[in-house]
Amino acid sequence: MPFGNLEFFIKIFLLFLVANILLTLCAAQWRRSKNRRKKLIEAVFADKISDFLYPQTGKKPSFIDVQRALRKVGVREERPENVQFLIQLMIRTQQALGGSNRIQLKRLYGQIPPYRASIDKLRKRDPFQKALGIKEIYEMDQNQYIKQIAAYRDHKNIYLRREAQIALVSFLGWDSLRFLPYLSRKISLWQQIKIVEKLHDVCREPKVEYLHLAYKTKNPDAIELIIRIIKKFYLLSEVDYVFLNLKHPSYEVRKAAIYCLLSLKVRDGAIAERLVRVMDGIPSKIQRKQVLKYLAKGGHTIPTLSL
Amino acid sequence: MEVFILKNIADHFFLFYGASLVSVYFLGIIFANIGIIKSKRRNTFLSSRGVISASDLPHVSLIAPAYNEGLTIIDNVLSLLLLKYPYYELIVVNDGSDDDSLEKLIKRFKLVPVKNEMPRGSIRTATVRNIYKSSLAHYKNLTIVDKENGGRSDAVNVGINIAGSELILCTDADCIIEETAIIKMVTPFLEVEQREVVACGGGIGIANGSHIKNGVLRKLNLPPNLLGKVQVVEYMRAFLLGRMAWGEVNGLMLVSGAFGMYPRQRLMEIGGFDPNTIGEDLELCVRLRRHMEKLKVPYKVVYLPLTLCWTEAPDNYNIFVKQRDRWARGLWETLKTHTKLIGNPRFRAMGTVFLPYWVVFEFGAPIIEFVGLVYLALSAFMGWVNWKVALELFAVVYLLGCIMSTAAVFMYVNNFNQYNNFKHIFKLLLAAYLEPFVFHPVLVYASIKGYLKMVFNIQSGWGKMTRKGFVTAP
Repeated sequence: MPFGNLEFFIKIFLLFLVANILLTLCAAQWRRSKNRRKKLIEAVFADKISDFLYPQTGKKPSFIDVQRALRKVGVREERPENVQFLIQLMIRTQQALGGSNRIQLKRLYGQIPPYRASIDKLRKRDPFQKALGIKEIYEMDQNQYIKQIAAYRDHKNIYLRREAQIALVSFLGWDSLRFLPYLSRKISLWQQIKIVEKLHDVCREPKVEYLHLAYKTKNPDAIELIIRIIKKFYLLSEVDYVFLNLKHPSYEVRKAAIYCLLSLKVRDGAIAERLVRVMDGIPSKIQRKQVLKYLAKGGHTIPTLSL
Repeated sequence: MEVFILKNIADHFFLFYGASLVSVYFLGIIFANIGIIKSKRRNTFLSSRGVISASDLPHVSLIAPAYNEGLTIIDNVLSLLLLKYPYYELIVVNDGSDDDSLEKLIKRFKLVPVKNEMPRGSIRTATVRNIYKSSLAHYKNLTIVDKENGGRSDAVNVGINIAGSELILCTDADCIIEETAIIKMVTPFLEVEQREVVACGGGIGIANGSHIKNGVLRKLNLPPNLLGKVQVVEYMRAFLLGRMAWGEVNGLMLVSGAFGMYPRQRLMEIGGFDPNTIGEDLELCVRLRRHMEKLKVPYKVVYLPLTLCWTEAPDNYNIFVKQRDRWARGLWETLKTHTKLIGNPRFRAMGTVFLPYWVVFEFGAPIIEFVGLVYLALSAFMGWVNWKVALELFAVVYLLGCIMSTAAVFMYVNNFNQYNNFKHIFKLLLAAYLEPFVFHPVLVYASIKGYLKMVFNIQSGWGKMTRKGFVTAP
C-alpha cells in the first residue's frame, strides 16, 4: 500500500486552509481600511491645498497648517505607505495646475512632507526604488537632483534608465538630446513615444542645434527616436537626415523614416517627389510597396519601379 | 498474483499522477505571484497618460463577429465604440445572421455600402456580401461587414482581411470591454525589448448578475446561482494562477478568443484562424508559436493580470455541458493537428514541456479521473478498498483543491478592488468548497462526452449558447 498515515497530512492541510482563509479575510479588511484612509488623506489634502492656494481674505497661506493637518490623518515618516500616497496626490495635483498656482505648489512641496522620501529612494540599492524616486522627482519638478539622475541614463536596469532619460528630457528639454550618442542600450517604442511626448510637453519651440549633436549616435533606436522627434515637430529643415536613413540596415529605422516623410509631405509637396526619386534605394520590397501605396493614395503620379 | 501486481501499479500510477498535478499547481502559485509582482512594478512606470495622444501609437482593429445577436447588437456595438484609444476601428462582422441584426445596425448607425473597399488581406473566407460604413461623422471608425455564414473563425478572418491596422484585437460582440483596455493591451507590443510579442491576452471576468449601463459595467455582482459563482472561482484560478504562471515562463499556449491581441502581419503569415477547428483560439496560439519557432525569431506570448473584458457565463448545466464539451473537442483537435510538435526538441520548451503538459494534465485529467472512478468502483466490488484510507485520501485531495481555490481568491482580493467585501468572499469560498461535488463531476462528464464525440466522429459543431443578456442599471 503506497498510502501511509494520512491523518497527519489532513491536519496540516486543514490548518493551512484555515490560515489561507484568514489571510484572505485580513487582506480584504486591510484593503478596505487602506482605501478608507486614502480617501481621508485625499479629502484633507484637497481642502488644505485649496486653502493654501486661495486663502480667505485676511488669512495668510500657512505651510504649518497644511503640515499639521496631514500629520493628523497619518502622513508621518513612520508610515511610508501614507507618505507614498501623498506623493501621488501631490503629483496629480501639480499636473492638473498651471501658471502661478503651479509655482505656489512647488514652494509648498518644498516645505511639507514627504520627508525627502523621493530623494532617499535614489540612495536605495533596489533599481526599482531608484527609478520610482526619479519618477517622483521629475513629476514634482524638483530639478535640483539632475546631476544624480543623469548618472543612470544608460543603466542596465530598464526602469532606471528609462526614468532617468525622461527626467533629463523633463528638466533639460532639447538640451537633453546631446546625451543620445551616449545611449548604447535598447530604447523601446514605448520609451521613444514617452520621450517625444515629454519633449513636446516641456518645450514646444524646437532647438535643432541639439538635434544636430544627437545625429552622432549609431544606436538604431536613438536614430528612430530622432526621426520621431523630427516628425512630431514637423522639422522640414531636417529631412535630409530622414532621407539618409531610408537606406538604414534596420527595418524599424526605415519604417520610422518612411512614416516621417509621408507625414511631412503634407506640409511640403517636394518631399513626395524626392521620395519617388530615391525609392529604389530602400532595401525592402515591402517597404517600397508601402511607400508607393501611400503616394498613390495622395494622388501622386507613380513611376514604374522594379519591385 | 498478476492481478495484485496490476493493482499495485494502478495505485502507484494514480498517486504519482495526482502528486505531479498538485506539484505543478503549487509551482504555478509561485510563478503567478512572481508574475503579478513584476507586472505591478512594470505598471508603475507605464501610465498611459503621457502617451495616449501620441501619433506614433499603433493603429488597432477591434474585430467582433456577431451571429443572430439582434436583441443586443446595438447596445453591444455602442459599448465597443466607447473605448478610449485614439486610433482604433471597430469591425463588426455579421456572420450571415438570420435575424434582423443587420437591419438594426443599418438603421441605427445610418450605414451606407462602401463600393470600392477592397480587403487588404488574402485569407480565404466565405463570400463577403457587403461592407458598410457609418455616414455619421462620430462613428467614422465603425465598419460593418455582412457575409455568408462561415462560423466564428471565418468571420474573424474576414475582419483581419479588411483591417488596416498593425494590431488586431479579437473579441465577441457581446463582451463588455473596459474603457482603457486597448492601451493596456497595446503596451506590451510597445515595450518590446528582446523578444517580439506575438499575442497578448487579458483577464476575462464573469458579469452575470452585474449592473450594466450604456455598455459600461457599473456595479460588479456575483452571479445569482451556484454554477455562476463556481465559474467565477474557476476563472480566477485559470487566469490569475494558470495563465499568469505560464506567462511568466513564456509557456502560454492559449489566449482566449473572447479577448486577445495579435500583430496583423503575423496573423496574415499563418493564414488567420482555422475555420475547421472548434477550439480556434488555442489552435491559433499553438500555430503562431510554431510559426515563430520555425522562423527562429525570439518571441513571447504575454498575459496581463487585469480583468479587461467581461462576459456572460453559462447559467445552467445544459449550456455549461455544451460549452465544455466544445472546449474538450477543441483541445482534442488542436493536439491532433499539432501531434508532431509534442515531445519534439526542435520546438524547444514548447515541444518538450508546454505541449506535453497540455497532453498529460489538460487533456489527460478528465480521462484519468474517469478511469479512476471506474477503478474505484471495481476495487469496491472486489473488496480491495480500505475505506478508511480511501476516505482519508479523498480528504487530502479535497483539502488541496480547497487550498488552491482559496489561494486564487486571496490573490484576487489582495491585488484587485473587485469582490473584496466579506459577503462576496464568503460566497466565493463556499462555492469553491462545493465545487468538487456540484461542478467538477459535470465538468468531467462534459469533457468525456466531447472526447467520445471525437472518437466516434459525431458531428456536433458549436452548440447553441443561449444568452440572457446583462442586467441594465436604472
